[in-house]
Amino acid sequence: MSAALRPAGVLVALLATAALGALSRVPYTGRRGTDAYVRLAWRTRGERVETCRRLSPEELARIPAHMRREEECVGHILPYRLEVTLDDSLATRDSVASKGARADRPLYVFQEFPVAPGRHRLSVTFARLGAIPAGQEEHGALPERLELDAEVTLGPRQIALVTYDEERRKLVLKGYGAPVPR
Amino acid sequence: MRRLTGVLARGVRRVMARADAAMNRLYGWRHNPLYMSGTLAAVSLAVVLVTGIYLLLFYRIGAPYASVARITDQVWAGRWIRSLHRFASDAAVLAAAVHALRLFVQDRSWGPRALAWVSGLVLLFSIFVCGWTGYVMVWDVQGELLAREGARFFDLLPLFSEPIGRAFAGDRAIPGAFFFLNLFLHVALPIGVGLLLWIHVSRVARPAILPPRGLTWGVTGILTALAVVWPVAMAPAADLFRVAGRAPFDAFYSFWLPVVRPLPAGAAWALVIVVSAVALGAPLWARPRKAARQLPSTVDERLCTGCEQCYLDCPYEAIAMIARTDDRPTLVAHVDPDLCTSCGICAGSCAPMGVGPPLRTGRDQLELASSFVAERQSGARDVVIIACGRGAGGVGALESVEGAPVHAVQCAGNLHSSVVEYLVRSGVGGVLVVSCPPRDCWNREGAKWLEARLYHDREAELKARVDRRRVRLLYAAEGERHAVLAELAQFRAAVATLDAAAGEKDIDLSALCEPVHDGAAP
Repeated sequence: MSAALRPAGVLVALLATAALGALSRVPYTGRRGTDAYVRLAWRTRGERVETCRRLSPEELARIPAHMRREEECVGHILPYRLEVTLDDSLATRDSVASKGARADRPLYVFQEFPVAPGRHRLSVTFARLGAIPAGQEEHGALPERLELDAEVTLGPRQIALVTYDEERRKLVLKGYGAPVPR
Repeated sequence: MRRLTGVLARGVRRVMARADAAMNRLYGWRHNPLYMSGTLAAVSLAVVLVTGIYLLLFYRIGAPYASVARITDQVWAGRWIRSLHRFASDAAVLAAAVHALRLFVQDRSWGPRALAWVSGLVLLFSIFVCGWTGYVMVWDVQGELLAREGARFFDLLPLFSEPIGRAFAGDRAIPGAFFFLNLFLHVALPIGVGLLLWIHVSRVARPAILPPRGLTWGVTGILTALAVVWPVAMAPAADLFRVAGRAPFDAFYSFWLPVVRPLPAGAAWALVIVVSAVALGAPLWARPRKAARQLPSTVDERLCTGCEQCYLDCPYEAIAMIARTDDRPTLVAHVDPDLCTSCGICAGSCAPMGVGPPLRTGRDQLELASSFVAERQSGARDVVIIACGRGAGGVGALESVEGAPVHAVQCAGNLHSSVVEYLVRSGVGGVLVVSCPPRDCWNREGAKWLEARLYHDREAELKARVDRRRVRLLYAAEGERHAVLAELAQFRAAVATLDAAAGEKDIDLSALCEPVHDGAAP
């Protein structure tokens, strides 16, 4: 570099470095708009129901000795119906079933509904589909029907969370819009 | 596809040629950062590694944001070290991207170079993922958004019984295992990066890992200065109950967010897969048609004396010395066609002219030089230009420059010194050899070996009987035509002061070549 061009070289290096510094912190808005959200998120073991039958001696004979069990049970987690009403209009009506090859994974709910900032009437119902056969009820399991009726007031971009409180066995509000200040 | 790629590559190369020329003016070719993009990426990664060790000492998985905030509050160390960590990782991505673009438009992404191309892309991707996990570690709004996007991608795969994204729903605390796994990836990936770097350079001899010392310290110093003067501030903390608003994002690692976020996860996956496949598949779709490809070098065993010079000079380790099939006591060179890029450097380094790509061996070059002289009949004070067909101010594509006839060679590194001798002895006033700068040789070391042969008596050297006042070597990038013109004018003036060259008639080409061995023992 000739001496005459040295200042230009330094200047270009400084500008390039400043550009790198600026590009390292470009303002970006993850989600545009001012919408608030009502989020439903919970996970629960659900109610497992089983149908069992005794295997015949012929069937047992076909099974390797170390795998023999006299009774074979086929079960699944009972599905639930989820209904969400926002400001008296139905936001979703959906059935929530267990996933997995044997339909034995825990039930989960994970949905979001955009709403305008302000006050909203929210109603959530989570009701079991199907009955539990007599004798299979579990103590402390998921109730047959969960309901939440609440009014939430949300500011721009705030999120109210509806979730299931396993200890209180009821749907509760968390986040912005919850009755108790965070 | 090939035609479109060719047009695009030529366009980018034109821009790059101008940028190279500008940088050469400012910093000289020895310190041109564009020539050193690959090594600058390596230096930046080294800075990232060193600064990362310090940050790791203070980072807490249980309180990610708070611990990073505490680091940022350390005015004398943590703040600028964290900023330097970020800027160096930005510089690494930028330098690696420039390096990849440069090699692609220079047609250096296919054939034996495919391994370097593919491993380089995987390397870039690994650096990118490493940066991604680094931002998630901070657990600010950017980190949260990147984590959510990552979860959105993985949730489309039929691997999990419930969405990963639910971890960020807020119904329960984010599991510590998430931050542990993230930290593990952030620390483990650089080990993979080291391995990939080794694979990346495994097919080249004498790989350049670091740039010249001045540039190394210059870049490190200026990034450090930026970190001190304009450090990175803490962005707002991640809030699972608030949609992230406007916040500072690192464009080098989050540039894809505006494109990918509005897309459904399936479309985003498709986009990523298509872009990756196109990039990784470049060695297949960007290579010339088979008929247009240069053939690999071959060895004429009768001519090979076993001097090992081609084996030493080959930049791609494509030449091995093996046992001969005749009864001479030396080894013989053997070219592995799968590793040979047909750069032709071996042709320039072989004194007996027994190796080189077809039609570009030293003997072939002498034949061409002979025809060149016969066609032009240059005067005793005329200067002839031997120009590299790639850079060299673009004069390799011309018939003549300011009246000086141009004899083009595919790469100046191919040039056999006997061609220079032949031209001087045939009576031209002088020979101006114009080569790409050594740091920008498309064949890595062509210019370096050429200079060593012309001026430093490297094997296949320009013979002492050649008047050095009539030979001049110039390094000029593609966009430096002005440098060629200036040097030509100076050289012409210098040649004009010399006695008129006494041209030899009927130079015996075979005398310039060493005799062919007939197979009998010497």
